[in-house]
Amino acid sequence: MASKPNPGPTGLGSPQDMPRAPGQHPMDPLDPSTLPEPIRDELLATDPAAIETASKELRDGLNHCPKCGSTEVRHRPGPRGLICLYCRHEWTATRVEEAFGLGEGIANLQGTQIASGARDIAADAVGLLSFKCSGCGAEVVVNTETAMTARCHWCRHVLGVNEQIDNGAVPDAVLPFHIRKDDAVARISQFVNKRRLFALEAFKDEFSPENVVGVYLPYMVVDARGSADAAGLGEIETRRYTRGQDKNKQTYFDADVWRVQRHVDFTVDDLPLESSAKRGNLDTRTNTHNVINTILPFDTKNAVKWNASYLVGYTSEKRDRDVQHLMPRMREQMLSIARAQMQPSVRRYDRGVRWERERMDLKGTRWVAMYLPVWLYAYHHPGSGGGLRHYIAVNGRTGETMGSVPVQQWKLILAALTIGTVVEALALWFIAR
Amino acid sequence: MNIDGDAILLLLALGPAGAVGFYWAMQRHYRNTDKSHAFEHETAVEVLALNGIEALRTVAEIRGTRSPRIQGDNVGNHRQRVQPM
Repeated sequence: MASKPNPGPTGLGSPQDMPRAPGQHPMDPLDPSTLPEPIRDELLATDPAAIETASKELRDGLNHCPKCGSTEVRHRPGPRGLICLYCRHEWTATRVEEAFGLGEGIANLQGTQIASGARDIAADAVGLLSFKCSGCGAEVVVNTETAMTARCHWCRHVLGVNEQIDNGAVPDAVLPFHIRKDDAVARISQFVNKRRLFALEAFKDEFSPENVVGVYLPYMVVDARGSADAAGLGEIETRRYTRGQDKNKQTYFDADVWRVQRHVDFTVDDLPLESSAKRGNLDTRTNTHNVINTILPFDTKNAVKWNASYLVGYTSEKRDRDVQHLMPRMREQMLSIARAQMQPSVRRYDRGVRWERERMDLKGTRWVAMYLPVWLYAYHHPGSGGGLRHYIAVNGRTGETMGSVPVQQWKLILAALTIGTVVEALALWFIAR
Repeated sequence: MNIDGDAILLLLALGPAGAVGFYWAMQRHYRNTDKSHAFEHETAVEVLALNGIEALRTVAEIRGTRSPRIQGDNVGNHRQRVQPM
């Protein structure tokens, strides 16, 4: 026989349910519209990791040609994207914008939406992965720190890391190379030729632009909606006049000071952020990663669904930063964008504005992990503290080139002193005249 | 020609200023340490609403200043962070 449930303590001071409000039905669900706005927004916000971008058809690690089934699939710069080296069939992967609706609904974004390839990296994730070749069953190892494909040494099948593993190596999308290697070599040569006179001798001697490497670098591409406020003081010139005689004439200004406030609601589409701690460190005293940052942006609208075949023949760097790490930088960039948007509206303050307080309120963000194509030429300049690695980077889509060329300091200082001496001599001659 | 003391000092400063200026400009041309992604202008931004409060009265009046801009002008320096509101 079933015993009666224990009703629990009922005496004074014992835990009791809250009494219902007058007229409230015992089973009334919580009505979000009666809650304060911040709590309501949080309750109604979309759950993180809402966008599933994994390709189920590629999970066995083999990228088959849809026509003949061969795994000899390569990326070919051009509109079609992929080519089978066996039967010459060409096809293209789907653009993620269309496949997952990533370009839509930015004005209604709520909360933090994270695509499945941008999910947090597991604490125990490893870079070295072992695959069972589905062609012959052999074990093949892929080091995802630098490569995403490997050839099975027994049956020659090409295996690609296609499944979205939790070590951050597989993004949601990839933007294939469009600029060919010879084009990148020409652009790097042209960049260096404009900077030869004071370049480090060893750099010039060892300069071999054909050693440029095609690298897929990890980025988070973010859509966001936010509101920003700024407050400060602005000045409007009311009078301008000169005082003094002849050579002692000086201009003076009168101005009115006004209190200024601005509020902007805005959306941002495809803001790229480096999702590698190393590349995201833009301290120009210790590295030259700022030149890689400068070649942004990319035409990320054309990024296609992840397929490791795009990476055959290129190296790649693994993502090691999660959304939470990048959020402060993202917030700061949003605030800078907001301030830029406010600038035209304060033109009437013709002596400028001094913003003194500001605030950024992020309403919604959507994070997509992407591999973006960069041609990189590197030169290590030995020196104190391990030296400095100078990069020359070419955007693999637009061809925008930026770089850092090491300087032969004694030569530059000598030239500067010579110029200074000549100018000084001319000045002395002018005074003595 | 008669040149006064201030002008002589200015002319004498031209030599060192030229040397430092040339060094600085070349260093920047080669190393590009001042470059970064101009995300403020190169990102697709859509402004949904932009408004503000225009004060009816001035806070103060400035008379006879020699500076052509407001002190601490940061209207064009979008990346300079100020106090949180």
